[in-house]
Amino acid sequence: MKLQVTGSDLINRIKNKWWFFVLLIAAVLIIFVPLPQAQAAAVDRHLRIEASMYQFTPGVIKVNRGDKITLDLVSMDVVHGLSVDGYDFELIADPGQTQTAAFIAEKTGVFRFRCSVACGNLHPFMIGKLQVGPNLMFIRAMLLGLLAMAAAFWSLRKPFPNLKEVNH
Amino acid sequence: MKKEVLARFLVVFFVTLVILIFVLGWQKNRSQHTGTILIHARMPENGGWSVTSITGETNQPINLRLTSDDVVHGFAVGKSDQPTVELIPGEFVETTLLFDEPGTYTYYCTRWCGPNHWRMRGTIDVQGEEAAVTNPPPLYLQLGIDIDAPHEADVIPSEPVLLQKGAAFAEDLPAYVFEQEIYLTNSPANVWSRLRAEPDLSALSDEDVWNVVGWVWQENTSPAAIKTGESLYAENCAACHGETGEGDGVMVRDLPKPEAEAHDMDDPHSESTTAGLTRPHDLTDPDHLLGASPALLSGKIIRGGMGTGMPYWGPIFTSQQIDALVSYLYTFAW
Repeated sequence: MKLQVTGSDLINRIKNKWWFFVLLIAAVLIIFVPLPQAQAAAVDRHLRIEASMYQFTPGVIKVNRGDKITLDLVSMDVVHGLSVDGYDFELIADPGQTQTAAFIAEKTGVFRFRCSVACGNLHPFMIGKLQVGPNLMFIRAMLLGLLAMAAAFWSLRKPFPNLKEVNH
Repeated sequence: MKKEVLARFLVVFFVTLVILIFVLGWQKNRSQHTGTILIHARMPENGGWSVTSITGETNQPINLRLTSDDVVHGFAVGKSDQPTVELIPGEFVETTLLFDEPGTYTYYCTRWCGPNHWRMRGTIDVQGEEAAVTNPPPLYLQLGIDIDAPHEADVIPSEPVLLQKGAAFAEDLPAYVFEQEIYLTNSPANVWSRLRAEPDLSALSDEDVWNVVGWVWQENTSPAAIKTGESLYAENCAACHGETGEGDGVMVRDLPKPEAEAHDMDDPHSESTTAGLTRPHDLTDPDHLLGASPALLSGKIIRGGMGTGMPYWGPIFTSQQIDALVSYLYTFAW
């Protein structure tokens, strides 16, 4: 066992860990580099959402950035509302009185929309999802996962540099 | 020893003080709400109004404290101009009712709170010196109209009815078409047949006679009444009858469609082929609507039923509101 770390040793260690830096840089790239996105032309979308206790149908809406979204909120049983997180948008509909309003999806990402009127005991769980553009978080997470798997295989293929050092 | 007495005295004093604070607070709280009736609103499946009958006297204010236990409800008194109170879960609202005429009033929920929403009703019995005002029985009872009988129209227009075109023939029409009595007691199809038989109008085409009938119906109402009817329909009727009147509202989606003449009132063995409730009839179907007189339609609104789950609106709507609703219903036909 060596008690003192000499200069050549340090260089050796760094040399043996080059793959670690590659991994780090790849991870940073995956997290921060803007992915090339195919920007679809903005269109007008007319969507009908049925609200019943305690769900929205459909519960997931996927649109492209810049789309003008016209929502019809149809309540099926009691008074329900729909408010989108991150957007200044709210609708409240009574049964038999469909409410319509429009907004432009200019923010990309995944947003929750919730019932905004207390509609019973499970009201807090009445949530839907609005996805504007591709789900970048999901893509990045998948790539990071793949990177982690690749790194695991790489480390298995080569013995650990630290172990080699201890052995000689 | 003196110190011990002092300590004992202090303990007794503070214990008494604590008890007094609670007792006084409770009394103060109670005196604030004496004479106030606390009503909890729940979905009809969970009990509806917690208080379903209230008694009062004329010109004596009735204080109510209202809250909702589950969803958004509303509180209103039928056939009165008391303002509607919105009941938000978790919030208390106070309101005061004042009646100047004795009688039995119905209070009801104004916001759809489930398929049985209309069952959320209660009564207020108002006693008073003066005799209760007796209204004449509704027209359908005076005329003895069977509002359960099928009322298919003998004739229906083959083309869309143009109300403005009918106005052009106003001068040629016999005087009776402008009588309100004729409008109230006849279906559009009846009036059409009667006009068709007039020798003076033989020059008019069948479509033009329909235009005249549509125009006469429009003359018997006003744009303001139709507007009132439209908002009443949206709030109270559209959840079952559908926003476009097609009988496909959100509350009746799972029910079977009504079968024409499935039920015969005169035959005791006749049963509706579909067990239980059916959807309401399609109001946009001219066969069905143009065979109904305003008296018949208002009778249906007042009494409800007809083999469907339709509630009775007699104690809720004033006769003006019912007339407005009827005149709005005919706009589905033209």
